[in-house]
Amino acid sequence: MDDPADLTTVLADVRRGMIPAHVYNDEEIFRLEAQRIFARSWVFLAHESEIPAPGDYVVRRILDDSFIVVRDEHGAVHALFNMCLHRGMQVCRAELGNASHFRCPYHGWSYRNDGRLVGLPFHREAYGGDAGFRRSDQRLLPAPALDTYNGLVFASLDPDAPPLREFLGDFVFYLDYYTRQSPSGIELRGPQRWRIKANWKIGAENFAGDMYHTPHTHTSVVEIGLFREPKAEKRKDGCTYWAGSGGGTTYKLPPGDLRERLRYVGYPDVMIDKMLREWSPAQRAVIGEDGFMVSAASVFPNLSFVHNWPKVGESDDVLPFISLRQWQPVGPDETEVLSWFAVDKEAPEEFKALSYKAYLMCFGSSGMFEQDDVENWVSLTSTAAGTMARRLLLNSRMGLLADDEPVVAPLEWSGAGTAYVGYGEYNQRALLARWADCLETPVRTPSAVGFGTGS
Amino acid sequence: MTARPLPFGDERHLLVHQWLVDEAYLLDAQDYAAWLDLMTDDVRYVMPVRVTTGRAAGFDSAPGMAHFDEDRYSLGRRVARFATEHAWTEDPPSRLRHFVTNVRTFATDSADELLAESAVLLFRSRGDVRESALLSAGRRDVLRRTAAGLRLAHRTITVDESVLRMQNLAVFL
Repeated sequence: MDDPADLTTVLADVRRGMIPAHVYNDEEIFRLEAQRIFARSWVFLAHESEIPAPGDYVVRRILDDSFIVVRDEHGAVHALFNMCLHRGMQVCRAELGNASHFRCPYHGWSYRNDGRLVGLPFHREAYGGDAGFRRSDQRLLPAPALDTYNGLVFASLDPDAPPLREFLGDFVFYLDYYTRQSPSGIELRGPQRWRIKANWKIGAENFAGDMYHTPHTHTSVVEIGLFREPKAEKRKDGCTYWAGSGGGTTYKLPPGDLRERLRYVGYPDVMIDKMLREWSPAQRAVIGEDGFMVSAASVFPNLSFVHNWPKVGESDDVLPFISLRQWQPVGPDETEVLSWFAVDKEAPEEFKALSYKAYLMCFGSSGMFEQDDVENWVSLTSTAAGTMARRLLLNSRMGLLADDEPVVAPLEWSGAGTAYVGYGEYNQRALLARWADCLETPVRTPSAVGFGTGS
Repeated sequence: MTARPLPFGDERHLLVHQWLVDEAYLLDAQDYAAWLDLMTDDVRYVMPVRVTTGRAAGFDSAPGMAHFDEDRYSLGRRVARFATEHAWTEDPPSRLRHFVTNVRTFATDSADELLAESAVLLFRSRGDVRESALLSAGRRDVLRRTAAGLRLAHRTITVDESVLRMQNLAVFL
């Protein structure tokens, strides 16, 4: 991509739904993504339920940048760049735990769990005290921007990032189905983490809108009777929607009112009562009147959700589960998957146990859906590396006629954003359009900051 | 484990060791129907998610989360799926080799149950030129005597990586 004309052509192709196959395995593209997408967008780091008590922390990355996501003694959540101000060691080398302080193992500088530097050995002898290194008010470098929605903690490396709520836009309409089924919201368990030799965009696109793969990729899961519906083709009756920074897929539910439909996917009345109170009339109408139930979804750039309702025992009863997952880029041909199980905090314990079981069977490192998905994505990625892949434009125009008019009219319903019933690659195109917008816009490099010296 | 393991010459140890090696053969051959027959009806098959924590933390697996947390029903569904013609992840199949070693057997309070510890190294190769993958784990099994021979009642798999370097767990350990 040294030649900007190349990039211009790639982005123009992507915007008309013809994807140069090499974007799924290309060093130059990946370098641009690191700067222009991951150094700019709001990226998911953790959920507040993972760090409930003062001092609780998890360590998470945005590409190569390690952050300690920690709750301080006053309950505030911080994302601290995990690098000692002195010689750059990681001050925290565990993945999670509880700590009042983080002490660098190299020279012993120590930081309170709100990031403040409190210990600097031989401060007087080595630096001449504050005259040489002003110790007060120094802190580990915080993530330039940090905010939460429904307990989901996001960070942006861009100090000029728009507010998170503005970035998410109307996608929050759908985010509530996954993360706000009661006033207490969700609790997360996990993540399972594993690395796959696949490009990060493939998972994000798949979860955003690929209802078309279900009948084929996941035939086996239907064949073994894991679902109530005997045919995976049912997916074409659902709709896909795109709103704000995200989009997703839905299933069409059988006739019934809101309560009957929530029961149909396995929610007990005690949870349904709370959903009815928590969700807006329009959110309730999407299920109760329009008859659609959210399934997979993605928020740009790399956070996805899934909601499904398999059988968890020999009986015909089904039980819903929710998973959050992040496609953490490692390189152009490698992604670390972080997959969490999520469940409403106020759900009955028995529900939580069965929902967890449903999750493990379907998604995550051993999930029966996930197994076949990843096999496909690894295959795509390895094939995208070569010369021929630079000559092939993958057709991602499903749902569009030659004149760019949609095959079906947009759905008139209560949901936010734009939706279409049936198979289409509307959302994959919307996600990659965002990707293209970012890639063609350079980021302002913030000036470097030093600590301790000078005024 | 504070109790002493059974001597290697003990008949119970020999029985357990042979069972583990025979099981590894079935797993390598992906003969999952026969493998499932080696489980008790109340089997529990668990592989916790390991995490990196400080020595003082007192835990090294993710609270409430596992890679596998299976009962007979869910193992049965997994095995049934491999038997369909549409489990793409294993078609073409992986070449698998389970290396089982460090076997120690312990008597338990129950005359019908033996405890077995073992180490397993799984080598997995897919396709012709893809990098192969390794998975190293310790296992702790409860094997129960039945009329049909020893059956697995409980297995805990202690995997040695926090982040797995394997594309999925469409395998058993």
